[in-house]
Amino acid sequence: MTETLARLKLLLRRLLARRGAALGLGFLLLVALAAAFATVLPFDPLAQSVAASLLPPSAENWFGTDELGRDILARVIYGARTSLLTAVGAVVIAALIGVPIGLAAGFYGDWRDSLLMRCIDVLLALPNILFAMALIAVLGRSQGAALIAVGIAGIPGFARIARAQVMALRQLDFVTAVRGFGGSPGYIMFRTILPNALSPLVVQAIVLASIAILLEAALAFLGVGVPPPTPSWGEMLRTGKSYLYEAPTYAVLPGIVLTLTILSLDTIGRALTAILDRDETDASGETIGGRR
Amino acid sequence: MTKLSRRQFGMAGLALAGVSLAGALPALAQQLKGGKLRVAVLSELANYDPQQLSTVNFHVIKNLYDSLIEYTPEGKPEPSLATEWTIAPDKKSVTLKLRSGVTFHSGTPFKADSVLATLQKGADPKRGKNVFATMSIVKDWSAPDDATVTINFKAPVPERQILDLLQFLLPIDPKGIDTVETVPAGTGPYTLVNRAVGQSLTLKANPKYWREKQPIVQDLVFTVFSEDASASAALESGAVDIVYNGSSRSAVRLKNAGFQVFAGPGPLVQVFRINSTRGPFRNKAFRQAFNHLMDRASILRVGYAGLGKVVALPWAPASPAYDESYNATYAYDLEKAKKLIAASGLSADEIKNWKLLVNGSDESSVAISQIVQGSLQKIGIPVELDMRQGAEYVTALLGGDFAATFGAVGNVQKFPSRVATNSIYRTSGNPVLKDPHPHPDYVAAIARVDAASGGAAEVKAAYDNLNKVMVDEAFGIPTNSYDVGLIVASDKIGGITLDIDNLFVARTIGFK
Repeated sequence: MTETLARLKLLLRRLLARRGAALGLGFLLLVALAAAFATVLPFDPLAQSVAASLLPPSAENWFGTDELGRDILARVIYGARTSLLTAVGAVVIAALIGVPIGLAAGFYGDWRDSLLMRCIDVLLALPNILFAMALIAVLGRSQGAALIAVGIAGIPGFARIARAQVMALRQLDFVTAVRGFGGSPGYIMFRTILPNALSPLVVQAIVLASIAILLEAALAFLGVGVPPPTPSWGEMLRTGKSYLYEAPTYAVLPGIVLTLTILSLDTIGRALTAILDRDETDASGETIGGRR
Repeated sequence: MTKLSRRQFGMAGLALAGVSLAGALPALAQQLKGGKLRVAVLSELANYDPQQLSTVNFHVIKNLYDSLIEYTPEGKPEPSLATEWTIAPDKKSVTLKLRSGVTFHSGTPFKADSVLATLQKGADPKRGKNVFATMSIVKDWSAPDDATVTINFKAPVPERQILDLLQFLLPIDPKGIDTVETVPAGTGPYTLVNRAVGQSLTLKANPKYWREKQPIVQDLVFTVFSEDASASAALESGAVDIVYNGSSRSAVRLKNAGFQVFAGPGPLVQVFRINSTRGPFRNKAFRQAFNHLMDRASILRVGYAGLGKVVALPWAPASPAYDESYNATYAYDLEKAKKLIAASGLSADEIKNWKLLVNGSDESSVAISQIVQGSLQKIGIPVELDMRQGAEYVTALLGGDFAATFGAVGNVQKFPSRVATNSIYRTSGNPVLKDPHPHPDYVAAIARVDAASGGAAEVKAAYDNLNKVMVDEAFGIPTNSYDVGLIVASDKIGGITLDIDNLFVARTIGFK
């Protein structure tokens, strides 16, 4: 536990040493805190005041108001909840299903590998957005449905990375040693190989989180995301585009927040990849994710 | 014998038009120049059959075909292909005198046989399409000679209903009646040149057209735009001369930018449709609360950029049953709504046990549904929106698979019983309320309107009764009228004619 904490601390230190990643992390932290403490902020995302609709940004309404006179900043903050919840949920679903599939396929090889990977190939062949829309058509339009749809769409990524890691690690000495000591396949996969394959999976989780946020926004933009009046960034973009002449900030400001969130996640993902790929060591010789 | 001739109605219609719409009607036709008129439309037409009238065909029909009679924007009948129409004293028949010297685009002379063929098609349940329901009052027809047609009715029919039928009939060339979906077969001011599906439709002036000095422009090109904003941009850049059937919001913006905007007299009325066979909506007091739960002014402003009128009844101002006093009586009032809900005796759980179906493809519907949701929230009734897209929504709407939803109704400026052509207002075979109709008072009120063929007092009493029953039964809560077929034109365009159904009429349009 102490070792894991030390690794995380080192990882964070190296991330913060990169300006882009530090900025991204700071922005994400701000969005996450606003989303987490939205209820204690003096904003109501649902309060309508049609008489005050489509107002430009002002001291009272920092982002202006939408067509129903609702505060756009409040809806952006509450919309962050929708986006972040979808991202976290999708990553959890994709990881919980995709990683074991990849581990089993890579560990056993033979026909089990072929069978599992062909199933993953089928899933991979489906365009994410189309698959998500089909699933929402079956499950109905809700945040849960969007989350599951995006999560399932993320399974192939985790499965393929986990499989590749297992195939690279399974013949190495430390795995052979555990096998020699009588370790069960489950023990070897989850307790021996998985901890040593975490780094690329963490990067994949961040990449999927950004894809999930974007996909959720795309689904909402296409009109099949979270149903109104629940705030959603994609829904704001969808509605705001109709008012581009009257209230350009309506679509632009939520769009900027969405873009910065995706940019932050991608920057962090790229930085992590660079850090972990090089398996950088500092002067003390500490390593972040290398095999032990 | 009631004889309604060109002299009687044409003069009255012209006088009214001169007062109220001097700038809009083709009074300036003589000063207008011809040329090529470029029109942006936002829908691809379905086909050329004038009996399959829908908004997607609105830009084409009156340019390829002529009606037997026309209405002025005020609803006064005037001659077209029928020069005279004589309604029998017992109101069980109407005799038409047909215009001479008219030919179809194929060169076939326009005679009684084409009217008979058109009536035959309209009365056919498979081929009659939108006209079929209107033909339900017709018993049979005959043609004593080539220039005369007599239509007999099953029972005495109110005068206005007869006129609506004549206005709805657009004679089709008998030689082309079987192929009319793919090849236009009318007498209209323009003939088809070319159609690029999904892109454009090109028409040219009919050299043998019977109206003097019409059409004014020789070439008429419709370009199909998929986005309202693109069509507006095309108008602003000068790529097109007119945008037809764009959104109210764009029309308001373009008007402020100096473009001309014309709204016809045939709007739609938005109606909060209630399925009174489900859940708490079986309770009349609960339904009546919705008369006061509609923030009509906000709905009109947000959904339709303020273009239209708030209405508590499903009539346009041109309708003979229109009664403005209901707007004040059934205004937005949450206290009254709360009292009615309390009087319903329903429990707190019962009153929130439903969802509001929303057409997710229609931004206006999404916005106005949220306004109702907000009003309900204010009086402690949290309801969810059941968002459905496209065909899924239409299936639920027409199949009655909903508790409540917004849906527009048409034919709101014509004979009042025509409202019963809309699914929620049907008196039999109602796909939402089913048979037997759960509101027999409403069915009886429609029947009374249909039977009111006597004096003005009888007719007015029938309309008043229908209005009273509609708000009392409260299975349809109208909120506002709004414009369909809006015309936004550059300032070099003149001679716009406003059609009673808001169809696009190009024959009087020219360049200043």
